[in-house]
Amino acid sequence: MERFKLSLEGREKISYFVILVLLLVLTAGLVKLQIIEHAELAKKSKDNRIRKKPIIPRWGVVRDREERIIIDNRSSYTFSVIPAEEIKGKTLPNLSKLLNLDTLQIRKRIKKNMVSRYQPTPVKRHIPFEHVAIFEEQKNKFPGVTYLIEQVRQYDSTLGAETFTGYVGEISEEELKKLKKIDPKTYHLGSIIGKKGLEKQYNFLLRGHEGDAYIEVSASGQILGEYKEEKPIPAKAGANLTLTIDNDLQKACTQVLDTFCCGAIVAIDPRNGELLAMTSYPGYNPNIFSTVIPESLWQEIRSDTTHPLLNRPLNGLYPPGSTVKFVAIGAGLEEGLITANSSFKPCLGGMQFGNRFFRCWQTRGHGTLNAIHALEQSCDVYLYQLGLKLGVNKLSEYYDLCGFGKPTNIDLPAEALGKNPNSEYYNKQYGVNKWTKTQVLNNVIGQGELLVTPLQLAQFFCGLANNGIVFQPHIVKKKIHPNGDKRTVLPKISFRLPFSLKTMRILKEGLRLVVEGEHGTAKSLKNEMYSIGGKTGSAENPHGDSHSWFVGVAPLDNPEIVVCAIVENAGHGSEVAAPLVGKIIKVYMEKKFARENITMISTRKTE
Amino acid sequence: MLNYSSLDWKLIGAAFLLSMIGVLLILSAQYSADTVFKQQYYLRQLIWLSIALVIFIIVIHLPIRLFDLSAYLIYAASLILLVMVLFFGTSRMGALRWFSFGPINFTPSEFAKVALIITLSRFFAYTKLPVASKRRLALSTLLSIIPLGLILKQPDLGTSFVFIVILFVLWFWSGLSPLYMFLIISPLISLVTAYQSVVWIIYIVVVLIFLFLLRPGLLFGIVTVVANLASGIITPFFWGRLADYQRHRILTFLDPGLDPRGAGYQIIQSKVAIGSGGILGKGFLNGSQTSLDFLPEPHTDFIFSVLGEEFGFWGALIVLLLFCFIFYRGTRIAVRCRSKFSSLLVMGGIAVIMFQFLVNIGMALGFMPVTGLPLPFVSYGGTSLILFWTIIGLIIAADYRWQEY
Repeated sequence: MERFKLSLEGREKISYFVILVLLLVLTAGLVKLQIIEHAELAKKSKDNRIRKKPIIPRWGVVRDREERIIIDNRSSYTFSVIPAEEIKGKTLPNLSKLLNLDTLQIRKRIKKNMVSRYQPTPVKRHIPFEHVAIFEEQKNKFPGVTYLIEQVRQYDSTLGAETFTGYVGEISEEELKKLKKIDPKTYHLGSIIGKKGLEKQYNFLLRGHEGDAYIEVSASGQILGEYKEEKPIPAKAGANLTLTIDNDLQKACTQVLDTFCCGAIVAIDPRNGELLAMTSYPGYNPNIFSTVIPESLWQEIRSDTTHPLLNRPLNGLYPPGSTVKFVAIGAGLEEGLITANSSFKPCLGGMQFGNRFFRCWQTRGHGTLNAIHALEQSCDVYLYQLGLKLGVNKLSEYYDLCGFGKPTNIDLPAEALGKNPNSEYYNKQYGVNKWTKTQVLNNVIGQGELLVTPLQLAQFFCGLANNGIVFQPHIVKKKIHPNGDKRTVLPKISFRLPFSLKTMRILKEGLRLVVEGEHGTAKSLKNEMYSIGGKTGSAENPHGDSHSWFVGVAPLDNPEIVVCAIVENAGHGSEVAAPLVGKIIKVYMEKKFARENITMISTRKTE
Repeated sequence: MLNYSSLDWKLIGAAFLLSMIGVLLILSAQYSADTVFKQQYYLRQLIWLSIALVIFIIVIHLPIRLFDLSAYLIYAASLILLVMVLFFGTSRMGALRWFSFGPINFTPSEFAKVALIITLSRFFAYTKLPVASKRRLALSTLLSIIPLGLILKQPDLGTSFVFIVILFVLWFWSGLSPLYMFLIISPLISLVTAYQSVVWIIYIVVVLIFLFLLRPGLLFGIVTVVANLASGIITPFFWGRLADYQRHRILTFLDPGLDPRGAGYQIIQSKVAIGSGGILGKGFLNGSQTSLDFLPEPHTDFIFSVLGEEFGFWGALIVLLLFCFIFYRGTRIAVRCRSKFSSLLVMGGIAVIMFQFLVNIGMALGFMPVTGLPLPFVSYGGTSLILFWTIIGLIIAADYRWQEY
């Protein structure tokens, strides 16, 4: 094995040789840079500065189901200061005059947004074009100032669509921390991201990817052009979205609520879960978030007692009132406690239970009713007696199976769960055995601690309208990627109502009688052209008059639309919410007839 | 008591000169930084230098036998620290490399470098196994691969290379023929050349010729050939089957700082800075910070760019020559030492200094990817400074007692 050994002298020589070679390589490198390429590199360092400039991608455009625009982009100018190139006593005073901003304020913003002293730091967004023109003319007055053309989101403010569009805004520090973990390169201070609604949910799709351009800038701040040695990375445009929303219907929803204080409307196609319209009233103009919001306006919005920022359909928690009586009746039928024709003790305007008298809304009393007519006339006493038979937990179980107290999984962020109390909940809330059976009397008529969102209620009625099959509510119909790749979102069955077809038939008859029955609570909606079904509700609440509910289904033989409306503190469902829903259904049906070339008067007569 | 006049003052002087140049360059690199904290990096470096010099003085007073006897203890301590940093370390930029004690950061991987040098020196100095015996190679590889694996886990690819270099250089210095070492690492080269089939075939032929000339034994020959063929054929096959993002994930796992565009950008800026310095440089504190500000850490990884810009070709050459001088003095000592342990110890230390020097400057000149290895003595960093002064201390001590066995 001696031939694998090397003598000490051998090793020493090899070591010197290796180091000598490597040293020569390094020296050659130094000579190349500092002597041969010196003139060129010196010029680069002296006169030219290489600047990395983000290429802002075009955000995706959002359209309604008929390809009418909901969210678009427009150009806007942003002024930036390069701190290293700023000349004290010249740049900022001149800039503050031009932008009408305090010098101190500008300084503050530079400090807040600065990434590096040599990179443009945004100072003010949304500069009117006249100011850009002045800047261009007198460029030498503003050393170290540049401007950038940015895309700004433009929302169609006539739609009242902010309920689902949400808005975009500058990234906050916490958001930056979170997003940096997912994607370390795309986000930086000053990035615009989706903050609410669709803009947040589909931020990754709509936003696209920022690119990088390398430009050379002379010492005086003049842009010399692209830096050739580094290839620019092009920006990737965001994907366009086509929504399931119908702008006509959306506008109608916003208009009908106009005369009231507050309310919400949700319209869904029960055949596939497509959201046709969704509005929360009062709303706000999402365009104000695209520009810098004046502090006073922000304060005004925040302190408004009608809560314009509350997304009522998704986050508003209301007692559902009589609208959920279908659940209890359905449960009674399924559990064999009643049949379609069973009746209980007659309603005499209320019922004594324990030491409390539970009223029926109809103080005159309904007399003896069967299950279907109890729905038609919304008799509370019938439901009280059924509720006692079901018990708290059975009823809660059915509410759960009908989608209450849990998310609908709509493709919008921050959906409220609602509340579906059972004995476990009451034990926790009041202590074991410290609550009474009276809770079930409240829950069975949609009062007490049962709370739902308008979206959950609409979803439940979609199930009633669609033979028990509930499709997951969704708002995006198509995703169109910039490379032309189109993805249509397919309807997805979310769950089935826990009712047999026989039960469903009875419940549907109840839906019909509410509008078409002799004693129906929403008789006013009955019309010649098309059949409507539905249910009224008046939810008592501690804030004043009852919330007025109505959920309508049309056309009842083959339902295409479910409209759920709530008007806060407006009174009985039959008086306020029902006519609103009637109007919206009318808009929908008129459009349908026009599309199918049928005049409205002729339809039913020829039948 | 030490006879101070017989210490190798020239070697100490060279290291001290480099350290002082480092302080000046750090001062210049952060001269117009936006915070006072950054502007005072040079002061902190001065404090670190004093601490490093104290440790240096302690080391030269200790008998060299002490390191010899406690080699495996030191090794065990370094492993414990490396494991601890994975659990209790401070995470920065996705890597767990530091212990933080208030403003002071301690990097256990620097300590592990010295520990491995001492341990391997001890192992090679006393083993009775023949130079090219498989057990000797395997045991020494095992000793190196444990700290290396722990450092890869942090992860820190650049530093883990240092451990491979220590192993290879000590193999070499303990007498293993470079040709034989070439055969051992040949499967790795096979992996690299495999991207182009012509190059790879030529390479395999070269390996076969070497094998024929060396005739290392049948088993060794077969293993070498099989390993070469396997890594050349199978690995590219699997690599090719991975999706782009999977490859990227593997690469970024190995090196979290991997960002080809970002690194490329830094290197362009470094080249502009060095090139614009020309022959004479722009002068101290006169470096146009404009180009250097594009470098995220001019006081650590890219300190050589500051040197090139402000002191030009001559300044850079002086630093290059100072490192060569350290190498020359060190090698001379390693040759002269009678104790095998001391000789290996000195060579291991020199290897770390020279490897980091070559990689760091190679990176600043744009020859090599950005690895984040600091320039010995010059770059900002307390643990690094202490490490290199400890190495110098060990070399001086070995030299002083060169006659001891």
